[in-house]
Amino acid sequence: MSGQLLRLAWRNLWRNPRRTLIAMAAIGFGYVMLLFVACLMAGLRQQMIESGTGLVLSDIEVHAPAYYPNRSIHQTLGERKGTNVSVLLAAIAADPRVYAATPRVYGYGLVSAPHQSAGAEILGVVPNPEQKVTALHTRIIKGNYLSERMPKGIVMGDKLATTIGVEVGSEIVLLTQAADGSMGNDLYTVMGIFHTGLDEMDQGLVLMCLSSLQELLRLPPVRIHEIGIKLHDITEATTAARALEVHLKKSLPVRVRAWPELAPELADYVQFNRSITFILFSIFFLLAIIGIVNTMLMAVIERTRELGMLMAVGMRPVQVVRLILAEAAGLAGASLVLGGAIGVPILWYLQVHGLDLGSSIDEFSLAGVVVGRHWYGRQDFFAYGQAALGLAVTALTSALYPALRAARFRPAEALRKV
Amino acid sequence: MTQAADDQRAREIVDRVARLSTSKSSIATVEMQITNENWQRNISVQIWALGEDKVRVRIGSPREDAGTGVLKVGSDIWYYLPKADRTIKMPPAMTMTSWMGSHFTLDDLVKASHLARDYFTALSFEGERNGVEVAEITLTPRPEAVVVWGKILLEVRRADYMPTRQRYYDEDGKLVRELTFSEYKTLSGKLIPTRLVMRPLDKAGEQTTILYKNILFDVAISEEMFSLNNLKR
Repeated sequence: MSGQLLRLAWRNLWRNPRRTLIAMAAIGFGYVMLLFVACLMAGLRQQMIESGTGLVLSDIEVHAPAYYPNRSIHQTLGERKGTNVSVLLAAIAADPRVYAATPRVYGYGLVSAPHQSAGAEILGVVPNPEQKVTALHTRIIKGNYLSERMPKGIVMGDKLATTIGVEVGSEIVLLTQAADGSMGNDLYTVMGIFHTGLDEMDQGLVLMCLSSLQELLRLPPVRIHEIGIKLHDITEATTAARALEVHLKKSLPVRVRAWPELAPELADYVQFNRSITFILFSIFFLLAIIGIVNTMLMAVIERTRELGMLMAVGMRPVQVVRLILAEAAGLAGASLVLGGAIGVPILWYLQVHGLDLGSSIDEFSLAGVVVGRHWYGRQDFFAYGQAALGLAVTALTSALYPALRAARFRPAEALRKV
Repeated sequence: MTQAADDQRAREIVDRVARLSTSKSSIATVEMQITNENWQRNISVQIWALGEDKVRVRIGSPREDAGTGVLKVGSDIWYYLPKADRTIKMPPAMTMTSWMGSHFTLDDLVKASHLARDYFTALSFEGERNGVEVAEITLTPRPEAVVVWGKILLEVRRADYMPTRQRYYDEDGKLVRELTFSEYKTLSGKLIPTRLVMRPLDKAGEQTTILYKNILFDVAISEEMFSLNNLKR
């Protein structure tokens, strides 16, 4: 296509600014809508993944191969012999994708206050690294999170605390079956109470220091059930998990799982969100296409006379088609730039301030995921690119039909048309 | 023989078996040998029982659990934990799960026998098995009974009504666990099986053996023994 043709096309666009601006508005507005939807849906996915993995799960978990599905307390890393935990942590931290890693021990027992008892999962953590990997400490509503200086301190969910009737400062007894078969039991003090919005945790989880739980379960310090890992970028979870498994397996039999495998229902929900995004995208796209096709069609039909004139003075049909396509391309390009210019501040606002869902919604949980009051957007450049490409292709194809029609005009007939 | 007479005879056998373990009062010294896939341990316990619904258990060894006390009065159950030095009340559901990691539940140990109350009884076999004349009673749960089994087969020696075997089936009719009785001895003037072996059928190699070392029947035990305050001692 010659430069002359492009110049002609560009000049043609601005010979009728109103028509061009209407077309630009159709495409540009469509683009802004698509940016908006893509950004919000990506934000929802992100929020889901973060709150689903951020409270206890973490991005990646390392276990003994036989730990799942029964999660027996005997299935520690390195089996009965256990393993050197700090060496294992160092091996994991050596991967540049890893942000932090922390060891964990799990037990199950009876939490007993003077008047009521209830069964609960007991999670043993090392307070400092755990706070780098998960965010449960941010959900403490009364009292404080665990501290190494308070080995007999525990933290529990608010519903469990209500069920057994305890508050911060109350004494509780934990009773469990220890690894040697004996009745592990001891007296603890409630240091803090958390609220996550997830019943499973608020009703059934007790946290304490790793070494205290090992003592209660009569597990030596070398025996742990899990290492939780947080990555710099959660989207690398599956590939990083695979690489870590290959690496760690050289010295210890392990199974390394990324969050989609650990929480398949969360992965399913993220997939469901992608499908919804696709449907919404299609609807907005369809609206945009109708606007564009209509405008392009009108723009060409309106100019039947003009195009007939050009052909009468010697322009060949192929050149007519090229001219119209060049006009469409220029129009699409200008529209996308316009849409992008309007879209950028909107996208920025969604990412930084989020969409306020209103004070009536405090928080709600969906598929085990807590969604907060603010709906934050997240940049999804792949989707933005897809939308731009889709709109440009639509503009070109919807110009193609009238262009081909115009190319078949007989100059004499075209000139007679109004 | 008619069906009704049959049932009456079955009922009588069940009652006689029940009477083996019930008396006005009893004090028993028992050893429990537990073997499962993860560990093997022996626990010695002393059990005091008064009437139908008061039972107290005290663990003598091993050291880790020594001093632990269990008190059951009616349907309420308390544990005294020496390490925490606290007495806690157990949720009722805990009585239907493994006790101390054994293959017996707390109900198995202290509920004595409410078979006749909770189950319909029918004589399902009478004759010789492995050279011993036995009778077998099929127990099926009464609709109102809160029990976990779909069916129990109780086998006794015809000569003296000593139980030989009790097999537990789940609601799908699958055999889940088998309790065998042996080493019949006269303790305190009463003939009883002193060795009970419980085997879960889904876990090969696992079992719990209960050995009655000593038992005293109809001895004077004060009500005080079954108070919460006394549980610590």
